[in-house]
Amino acid sequence: MSLMTINLKVWRQKNAETPGKFEDYKLDGVSEHMSFLEMLDVLNENLIKEGKDPVEFDYDCREGICGSCNMVINGRAHGPKHKTAACQLHMRTYNDGDTIVIEPPRAAAFPIIKDLVVDRSAFDRIIEAGGYISVKTGAAPEANLIPVPQDTSNEAFDYATCIGCGGCVAACPNSSAALFTGAKIAHLNSLPQGQPERDKRTVAMVDQMAKEGFGDCSNYAECEAVCPVGISISSIAAMRRDYIKAIF
Amino acid sequence: MKLDPKIPSGPLAEKWTKHRNDIHLLSPNNKRKHKVIVVGTGLAGASAAASLSELGYSVEVFSILDSPRRAHSIAAQGGINAAKNYQNDGDSVWRLFYDTIKGGDYRSREANVYRLAEVSNYIIDQAVAQGVPFGREYGGLLDNRSFGGAQVSRTFYSRGQTGQQLLLGAYQAMMKEVHSGRVKMYNRHEMLDLVLVDGKARGIITRDLVKGTVHRFEADAVILCTGGYGNVFYLSTNAKNSNATAAWRCHKRGAAFANPCFVQIHPTCIPVSGDYQSKLTLMSESLRNDGRVWVPRNKDEKRHPNDIPEEDRYYYLEEKYPSFGNLVPRDVASRSAKMVCDEGLGVGDTGLAVYLDFRDAIKRDSKEVIEAKYGNLFDMYQNITDDNPYEMPMRIFPAVHYTMGGLWVDYNLMSNIPGLFVAGEANFSDHGANRLGASALMQGLSDGYFIVPYTVGNYIADVDLPKVSTEHEAFAEAEDSSKKIMDKLLAVKGNKTVIEFHRELGKIMWDKVGISRSKEGLESAIKEIRALRDEFWENVNVPGDANYYNKYLEFAYRVADYFELAELMAIDALDRGESCGCHLRDEYQTEEGEALRNDKEYAFVSAYEFLGVNGKLETKLHKEQLEFEFVELKQRSYK
Amino acid sequence: MPSLIEAFQSQVGRKILTGLTGFLLVFFIIFHLAGNLAIFGEPDAMNSYSQFLHDLGPLLWVARIGLLLIFVIHAYIGISIWINKRKARPQQYKVYSSKGGPSRQGLSSRSMAFTGVVLLIFVVAHINTFALGDMDTVLIDGRETHDIKSLVIDTFQNPIYAFGYTIVMILLGAHLGHGIWSAFTSLTLRSKKASATIYTIGVVVAVLLAVGFLFIPLYIYFGGGCDAALIHCN
Repeated sequence: MSLMTINLKVWRQKNAETPGKFEDYKLDGVSEHMSFLEMLDVLNENLIKEGKDPVEFDYDCREGICGSCNMVINGRAHGPKHKTAACQLHMRTYNDGDTIVIEPPRAAAFPIIKDLVVDRSAFDRIIEAGGYISVKTGAAPEANLIPVPQDTSNEAFDYATCIGCGGCVAACPNSSAALFTGAKIAHLNSLPQGQPERDKRTVAMVDQMAKEGFGDCSNYAECEAVCPVGISISSIAAMRRDYIKAIF
Repeated sequence: MKLDPKIPSGPLAEKWTKHRNDIHLLSPNNKRKHKVIVVGTGLAGASAAASLSELGYSVEVFSILDSPRRAHSIAAQGGINAAKNYQNDGDSVWRLFYDTIKGGDYRSREANVYRLAEVSNYIIDQAVAQGVPFGREYGGLLDNRSFGGAQVSRTFYSRGQTGQQLLLGAYQAMMKEVHSGRVKMYNRHEMLDLVLVDGKARGIITRDLVKGTVHRFEADAVILCTGGYGNVFYLSTNAKNSNATAAWRCHKRGAAFANPCFVQIHPTCIPVSGDYQSKLTLMSESLRNDGRVWVPRNKDEKRHPNDIPEEDRYYYLEEKYPSFGNLVPRDVASRSAKMVCDEGLGVGDTGLAVYLDFRDAIKRDSKEVIEAKYGNLFDMYQNITDDNPYEMPMRIFPAVHYTMGGLWVDYNLMSNIPGLFVAGEANFSDHGANRLGASALMQGLSDGYFIVPYTVGNYIADVDLPKVSTEHEAFAEAEDSSKKIMDKLLAVKGNKTVIEFHRELGKIMWDKVGISRSKEGLESAIKEIRALRDEFWENVNVPGDANYYNKYLEFAYRVADYFELAELMAIDALDRGESCGCHLRDEYQTEEGEALRNDKEYAFVSAYEFLGVNGKLETKLHKEQLEFEFVELKQRSYK
Repeated sequence: MPSLIEAFQSQVGRKILTGLTGFLLVFFIIFHLAGNLAIFGEPDAMNSYSQFLHDLGPLLWVARIGLLLIFVIHAYIGISIWINKRKARPQQYKVYSSKGGPSRQGLSSRSMAFTGVVLLIFVVAHINTFALGDMDTVLIDGRETHDIKSLVIDTFQNPIYAFGYTIVMILLGAHLGHGIWSAFTSLTLRSKKASATIYTIGVVVAVLLAVGFLFIPLYIYFGGGCDAALIHCN
């Protein structure tokens, strides 16, 4: 197994109020089998032993599904690999002596908490605005009562796999949340169960997205390129179609 | 301490209906006046919060993560069981009940498990109505797959992301209630203590993980949905933030901890690659539907797996268990993997892995069919290991996955502390000594959607709950004690990091309180845990301060609690002088190496009362005898 | 439900309007190019076309005002999206790069605001030069009409105009390279396959339009105006 030395340039910021800056670190003994986050764990162990403040970054499941991790690695959300969350990125992607710049997702709607950790509760509020089907516990009809064509169900699933990491916002030159919002709208609006609230949901979520301070979508499709689960921008088109339907 | 399971009388199939009819109700305008705290937003927490709010209660919900949607239920892959019998293969509520209680090796309550099977069907209805995109057949109706420990196909699935889809359904239902104003959500808040007033659970102490500030919240009932304690082992399939602190602190306040030694080791995980490893990744058990598990017959096999001919492959599960084959329950599969590796037949660099091979399935069904079923799992495997599972067998090894043990609850899912309810993995309730695949999602949602909303209402309607203020001295005392723990940890300023201690603790647990356990090993584990715990409090290095975002401080107090819980797990494993389900004691095996239960002496739930930690954990064992009226206790056989 | 006015102020509504107005402007540009190419026709073709347009009378004014409105909406939204973008990310990345793959980020898409603003300034100058400029009159079908053709030929003898126009037309091509596909996407094109095809078509149309427009000034300049082979002066 080959061990590498990696040079890191990491954004350090005490809290939202204090301005941040980059710190340089040199990390020896990095194994190619390590995940990117495990590499940062090792950095933190070193920092703690040196009596320094460890680098804070968000993570939880470390298997690419919880959506906690979202950092911008050498200018790309979640790093260089397509359909890969930062926690699933492995150090074999890098070479000995590489310099890696790590920044938090930068968006006014995602204020920085500390270092690479940001507050993404704006996403929760977009869901709260209408990202659900109103069915009370116990009121549901028999599950097989409404057949849903397999294609429809598969399409809904493709949109529903969004992990809410915010990589789309981080990568969008406009900091738009259109992919996140579009994915949920497209998921629920494509199913028969989602029809009664379709118009209301679409308008409410679109409005909330703007209220949170996300930028407009300019169809760069960069969001799709960085999305760890590969959500298509056709979800954004679906959101627009349903928006037009809702207002006419 | 008195443990009354409060199981309703009457025939098994009528207990829950009867109980619901007997339950006391609150009028809608009264519900509004009552506040319920829900801790944790996984399947159990989110579904309970949504359902209680729909009923009209005022609900406060706490999550340690930045969004409730990230709770670790999200990572469940394979599916959710229900007794719909859509496949017309003879399934029924009784069969689901029977499989679950048998799968749990007869160490769970009949009444609870039957109720679980009974409400399973409603969960599917609920999820479909919420827009959960389950796998469907061409005709547009719901599809099922088969899963370990069952001979029927009753598992509903959303590709390999069933937990994610069900959790998002429950999360969205909860966010709908946040919108209604009845649910108030606190993200990045960790519960540090339970507050008891007049012997009842009346509130919690939390830490705002962003600001570091400690807060008090009062309520009429507290529902703990904080998941399991698999992270005691350091390496597990649990998420990094999954922890036992909330549950353990409730235990220290008097809640009994039940069956702590029942830990499920999942058979199909990606093997460990190095000592920097921070967690283990599970590959859904559903892979065993099409993958064949094998090791080389010869110890010094050097050939590439694809070059090893049929006669030199040892399909040990198929040979040992011809009727279930690769679909034996998880405990049997994990134990068998360990056995073949102990014999020196293991593969890979470490010798701690077995093959899971799709060659024959691809030949039979085509690559496209296999890709449609497991594509995302194969991609994940390839991404982590750099091997292509379409072309060569996967390497897998067991890993700690789920804890059947947890806080003791009665039939109402209430702990022995009045007003403290425990739902989902955090309780000990339904899986006995082993959980079947696709049953965790079922239990979490059954508890949250269909049980707790009734039983919490019954409790509130039933007891006198005078108004309490967070100025009450019990709140002050609990807040103070929570702060003291953090101050103490920060004051040590030692030389070893929290992670180093945690890793060492995990190694003791994996080696001696893991897949197989012995009296000798457990006794030595208890000694080692105590010694390491003492060292921890003298030599831990916790960076920074308590008054801002500090992940390593969070880890520190969680690990401090693991040190106590770990000892309890070992004590319980030592006390349970039998093998059952996931608990295999080397001393108690059949001649064929199968778990040997002792129903005469051990057909009980171990429930521990916390007495103190003084160099050693002082604890008192209470036994809840398990009564089996409806099923006959049999030696499990999957042959 | 929001009123139409409110709806078109939302992020999605604005994008739909941008796409819609963008499309109309593309149609206009195509007609405009057709008119321009009349310079290569019969000696009177271009001026006859001009006369035909003027003969439309009030209808011409409706078209002009409509066009102005479309243009203003398109430009207004484009500029406000750009301002919003600055607000949405007050602190920029130190390192930023596209991840490629399905991304449509490139010189064309990244410079929409810049090319847009240049086009806006250009249009004002262009109207000033050719619509409001001093023109001689000629007789077409016995009636007096503006001699736009001579004005065009004279203007592009000047290298500043000839090359200035050429550069702006390249920028127009860049703007349309992303713009045409983007408009389709904004107007709810969902199919992935069609999306890739339309992207290619969009780029081809953008290149054709740009080349069509920039050919005229360059040809006049290098060809020496009325001496050029393809231009027939009276």
